[in-house]
Amino acid sequence: MPLTPMQLSQLIPTRPLTFLGQVLIAAAAALSGRWQFRSKDVSRVAADCSARAVPIVTVVNVLVGAILAFVGAVQLVKFGAGIYVADLVGIAVAREMAAIITAVVMAGRTGAAFAAELATMQTNEEIDALEVLGLHPIDFLVLPRVVALLLMMPLLYVYGCVTGLLGGMVVAAGMLDLAPAAYLDRTLVAMDWSHLGLGFAKSFVFGALIGLVSCYSGLYAERNAEGVGVATTNAVVTSIVGIIVLDAIFAICANALGL
Amino acid sequence: MALLAVEDLEMRFGDRLIQTGISFTVEPGTIFAIMGGSGCGKTTLLKHLVGLLPPAKGRVLYNGTDYWAADETTQSRLRGGFGMLFQSAALWSSMTLLENVCLPLEILTKLGTTQREARAREVLEWVELADFADFYPADLSGGMKKRAGLARAIAAEPPLLYLDEPSSGLDPISSKRLDNLVLGIRERTGAAVVLVSHELPSLFAIADDGIFLDADSKTPIAHGSPRALLANATHPTVRAFLAREEPPPTVPAGAGAVISAAMAQPGDAPS
Repeated sequence: MPLTPMQLSQLIPTRPLTFLGQVLIAAAAALSGRWQFRSKDVSRVAADCSARAVPIVTVVNVLVGAILAFVGAVQLVKFGAGIYVADLVGIAVAREMAAIITAVVMAGRTGAAFAAELATMQTNEEIDALEVLGLHPIDFLVLPRVVALLLMMPLLYVYGCVTGLLGGMVVAAGMLDLAPAAYLDRTLVAMDWSHLGLGFAKSFVFGALIGLVSCYSGLYAERNAEGVGVATTNAVVTSIVGIIVLDAIFAICANALGL
Repeated sequence: MALLAVEDLEMRFGDRLIQTGISFTVEPGTIFAIMGGSGCGKTTLLKHLVGLLPPAKGRVLYNGTDYWAADETTQSRLRGGFGMLFQSAALWSSMTLLENVCLPLEILTKLGTTQREARAREVLEWVELADFADFYPADLSGGMKKRAGLARAIAAEPPLLYLDEPSSGLDPISSKRLDNLVLGIRERTGAAVVLVSHELPSLFAIADDGIFLDADSKTPIAHGSPRALLANATHPTVRAFLAREEPPPTVPAGAGAVISAAMAQPGDAPS
């Protein structure tokens, strides 16, 4: 039996879709010059999710590059193919790990901060105060955060690639006595633009996902202390699961397209 | 024409009725109190008046324009005609006091950056927070937050102010100071004030008119100034609520004169 419109509307999560629609409308308005947010808010959030995230992004990506090199070196040396560690690390980092690991770090760091900040503003009636003034929270609070993450995530991805490759190079030099020049040369041979392009596209999508999920969680949080905690947890968990699911979809699409 | 007219307003959360049959008008320069016990829907009524919650039934008219029937542009224009002090002050925590007061000026006026800042400092001076302009809300006491919230609400000189429990949680001296500020603002700008309060000294001192909401019948059960209600109301709930405290001596005309003088701009004639 076909579903009635009422049954269909109950199945579709209308609030997240409405939120997404409002963000897209606000983004379109901003692109046409009718933005409500303050440029200094975008700068503040962009600084918070870029420069201040650099130390943790560095540590995590260097270690992931090093771990990949360790695993690769142990196995490849058995076949006398130690030099191919550079291929393994380069492709894995550029195609998958830099984008995913950076996104997971940003979900835990910046996504949680966005959700907690907006949920606290909701609890303290700060968002009501904006609405009374005629400022829509989507325009004034959500858009600067999503825009900042969209702009900064690809930059952090590129930085994550460089630090991941450095981590791999250090391990390869230590375990396999590979000269850094030889390692870099091999990396450049192994990598092509499709790997970097795929990772870059992923970082952009992951940035949008984290920004939207965390702002949604914060904006629709319950107005109490527990609500702030729940919003923060939801933002991080949903973002990380979303990142993995999107990465799987990217993998299937890339495979289908022969990338 | 009344500055604010509420006609047969009904408030609901889903199927749950909060209040029904609310009607009143607020004239320019009036201080109108919304009274009632805890949980009767006073703050909810305020949220319906300022456009945060749509009513289930009835109309909210600003100078004859129905807010909830108006298009978004008209609603935005009407919102420019009132300021609001929230119960928690609701200062934007990521901004300094100066930025908090500047933002409404940025949205509601055509003042340039320098003029906005000058005006914000002037308003902070009125509420005796000039030295705290660069402080963040987290660094202030409860009373200071309330005064900063009041400064933000009056910055653009709206003709109507909504104050949600302005003196709750304050000591008697701070509470009295806030009452004087409200009287001073009314005297200086001619603004009408719609006030939600439990504080009887404050209600008796400043309110000219009011409405009493009953949580049991979910309807307004009395209408008039707190003093008149204390003298004439027959409903036991109203009498029990207001008789907790004897009203102070009648506030003489010009009670806000002291604060008004403090608020006077350079070049103004003394009031």
